[in-house]
Amino acid sequence: MNRSPDIKPDIKPPELFLRFFRWFCNPSYAEDIEGDLKEMFVRDSTRGNVAHARFRFSMNVLRLFRPGIIKNFSSLSFNNPSPMFRNYFITSLRSLTKSKGFSAINIVGLSVGLATFSLIAFYVFHEMSFDRYNKNGDRIFRIVENLRTENELLLQSTSSPPMGPRMMKDFPEVEKYVRIQNWSMLVERNGVSFYETDSYIADSTIFDIFSFSLIKGDKRTALREPNSVVLTETMAKKYFGNEDPVGQMLKMDNGQFAVTGVMEDVPENSHFRFSNLISFSTWSSNPNNKRGEEGGWFWNGFHTYLLLRDAQSVDDVRAKMKGFIDKNIEKGGMYYEDLPLQPLYSIYMATPRSWENGTRGSMNNVYILSIIAVFILLIACFNYINLATARASRRLKEVGLRKALGAQRRMLVTQFLGESVIVTVLASIIAVLLAWIALPAFRTLVESKLSLSILPEPWIVVVGTVLMVLFVAILAGAYPALIISGFHPMQIFRPSIKGIYSHHNFRRVLVSMQFVISITLVAGTLLVHDQIELVRNQDLGFNKNAMLLLPFNRDSAINNHLDFIKNEFKELKGVRAVSASATVPGQSTNNLYTTIEMTDGKMSPTNINYNFVDHDYIPTYDIKIIAGRNFSREVKADDTTAFIINETGVKDFGWTPEQAIGKRVELGSKGKIIGVMKDFNYRSLHMKVEQIMFVLTRGAGQLGIRLDDNDIPATVERVHEKWNELVPHLPFDYSFLDADYDRQYKADQQLGKVVGIFTGLSIFIGCLGLLGLASFAVERRTKEIGVRKVLGASVANLVILIAHEFVLLIVIALIIATPITWYLIQRWEQNFTLQAVINPLRFFMAGAFVFIVAWLSISFLSFRAATANPTKALRHE
Amino acid sequence: MNRHQLGEFEEIVLLTVGILYKEAYGVAIIDEIEQRTKRQVSIGALQTVLRRLEGKGYLRSEFGEATNVRGGKRKRYFSLTTLGSRVLRENQEQRKELYKAIPRVAFPKS
Repeated sequence: MNRSPDIKPDIKPPELFLRFFRWFCNPSYAEDIEGDLKEMFVRDSTRGNVAHARFRFSMNVLRLFRPGIIKNFSSLSFNNPSPMFRNYFITSLRSLTKSKGFSAINIVGLSVGLATFSLIAFYVFHEMSFDRYNKNGDRIFRIVENLRTENELLLQSTSSPPMGPRMMKDFPEVEKYVRIQNWSMLVERNGVSFYETDSYIADSTIFDIFSFSLIKGDKRTALREPNSVVLTETMAKKYFGNEDPVGQMLKMDNGQFAVTGVMEDVPENSHFRFSNLISFSTWSSNPNNKRGEEGGWFWNGFHTYLLLRDAQSVDDVRAKMKGFIDKNIEKGGMYYEDLPLQPLYSIYMATPRSWENGTRGSMNNVYILSIIAVFILLIACFNYINLATARASRRLKEVGLRKALGAQRRMLVTQFLGESVIVTVLASIIAVLLAWIALPAFRTLVESKLSLSILPEPWIVVVGTVLMVLFVAILAGAYPALIISGFHPMQIFRPSIKGIYSHHNFRRVLVSMQFVISITLVAGTLLVHDQIELVRNQDLGFNKNAMLLLPFNRDSAINNHLDFIKNEFKELKGVRAVSASATVPGQSTNNLYTTIEMTDGKMSPTNINYNFVDHDYIPTYDIKIIAGRNFSREVKADDTTAFIINETGVKDFGWTPEQAIGKRVELGSKGKIIGVMKDFNYRSLHMKVEQIMFVLTRGAGQLGIRLDDNDIPATVERVHEKWNELVPHLPFDYSFLDADYDRQYKADQQLGKVVGIFTGLSIFIGCLGLLGLASFAVERRTKEIGVRKVLGASVANLVILIAHEFVLLIVIALIIATPITWYLIQRWEQNFTLQAVINPLRFFMAGAFVFIVAWLSISFLSFRAATANPTKALRHE
Repeated sequence: MNRHQLGEFEEIVLLTVGILYKEAYGVAIIDEIEQRTKRQVSIGALQTVLRRLEGKGYLRSEFGEATNVRGGKRKRYFSLTTLGSRVLRENQEQRKELYKAIPRVAFPKS
């Protein structure tokens, strides 16, 4: 029986089950039963098939899992554990107060980390909550267009007026539709006038589809009659004060509108917002528009939202769309390849299509900020881990004593985890205060209202916070708790260097990871800044400086006497040139259906961007003509038949600039190209320059006044006086072109600022940890430093001695951080048509910056240690 | 007066431990039972009973030698205690009395 058969060492019983057995088995039985199990396993496996033997082994283990064999887990707990926990609590507090510096570092670090994390989480939540306030949100879809023209596929967010009604007729799944269009209205009452640029016309179904609620008025009739308007509360206050606006009249542009209702303000997390709604019938009561409402399938100036009977049926509708298009819409040179339905919730974060209404978020920014939030929290947790493990040796005696008195490892883990929970809870209380204080500043920073009302119910927030705090406490405390509780009690009496000072490498890894994060963030900030500067200083092909913009909403008083008014302004001191136009660079252009003569002489349809300008536009904005000529007052025909195209257009149609002159163009009426202008960026550098044409107009919407560079404020004041004299009924609502234009990079600049600030915070937290580690290193080496000093080491030697270790870590971190940042920034720069070259110097700057900050915080301590009187150090014990 | 009630499997295990005398450890007991009674015994079932019997004082155990096949784990040899053997004997007596009490007509010798 004791004869041992040949054992093949590679045949092993299933490890998992063996471990399971060792875990549950009563320790006093474990040895012989394990022996039995193995003996049977070996016998089975030599007799036959190994898989079978392993299976039998596993089954045997499972069948051993029964009351008589399982160890008594409950005997580990005490009848009355509360004194134990009270003791844990007291010792934890004592050890926290004993080393106030370290506790402060941990608490401050964690609280700043948690505060930033919660602010960013709030922001991310806000961004993700867009349009979720709609009760029927999952059933609302927006009709968008994939429009195929001669040259390209246009992805537009707009739709045409017949689409909504016809879909409701053809598809039983569609319950309701609403069409909206943005109008900019000059609103006047009792001599008070403002531009309401976010007025919308809308079908009366808007109140059934979106969850906007009327405070006054009847939602069924409010938007029925032409020239009726529903005001938001804010706008009602603005014009009517405390009066009841319902039933009163309001002058909007040149018409009188009856106020039929007052509604609550549009929630801030709505992808389009408005100050008032005008009845759709106001638009369709015009006979010309009425025709468009029935047959204008390519009149793409509207946004249409559908409410489906149930959310799932969207696939059915999508499947029938091809047939719908073929049946209803005549296929010409331009046709709809598809009419996709976009779910309401996805609109805010989706890649913008052209002519989007309202504001759009950026998933990229949400990702970037979330990553930063996690980074900052990680840095703070690493601090805790580093300091706790570095100082573990201080708890050696306590742990040894507890173990000698019968504490189990599990209990010690509980104790040390409890300690990290205490620290995290303290930190989170401070974090709430910090976040509360920082919230207004944060709101300005991200330029969002971030009202607390978008948060879910309080209990969810509370539960979330508690879970978060516990998670952080465990993340930070688990490793130190395992390390400290793992000390062998014998080590107190026979302390081996290895036992106490191990985990040194682990700390090094954590510290270099902190440095990697810091360097990535610093280098990223610098590179983002580079890119934005490049884009802002790029030669745009026109001059955006010192250009005063004055909108007048196509006011007839100005348009009828345009030349006279322009002259009046031009004569003012400090004014160089004046021009009127429909739009200016940086604003959205009109995209219109046009037919153009191709090289083969045939007329071909396409969609082209247009700007409607006057004779002075091109010289006023410093745009260059490279072929042909500008509009001329001498040539009367220019008023209706002259077109000027840009270089990109010329290239797209396969002409040379000279060939372009004289090509026939038809936009409503027939005309010819008379000039070609050099490309200029009429939109931000996020988008490439597309074809654009200029046409003369008599119905401009704004004045652009080029000023002399010196003493701009005084000139603006003179323009203001003149404005009041000439057109007193219009508000003097001016802006500057360069500021307006750069606003297109607002999101990017914001990102730069936010990243910059959080970078600062992360470095601050990282340095706190470094300070702690360094002070611990100094404390431990007090004697060594004393001896070295006595033997003649200089202060510089000693400072280098302490700091050199961290220098190495920074170099390693720099090497790791460079490719990561390089890659990320390159990805981000793809958002622009023009990319800044990534400057390697930036990485050295980032490394040097982190190095200097780290060096300063370390040197301070090591310098103090190095200059201290060595006798004190040597008398240490 | 017999307080020492034995289960059927408990009785078999006690008997087998007796049979094996000084060689009664886990695997050997299983082999012996399987061979003599033609029934499958799992380690789990056996060990539970062994520990229970040991707890009742019918068996005692001591560690024996470790062998290679056992991965260096020692064997635990079980042997009957005086109480154990008395219980077995009482059990046997009791059964005998019961057998005797059966009327002959109800218990034909087949």
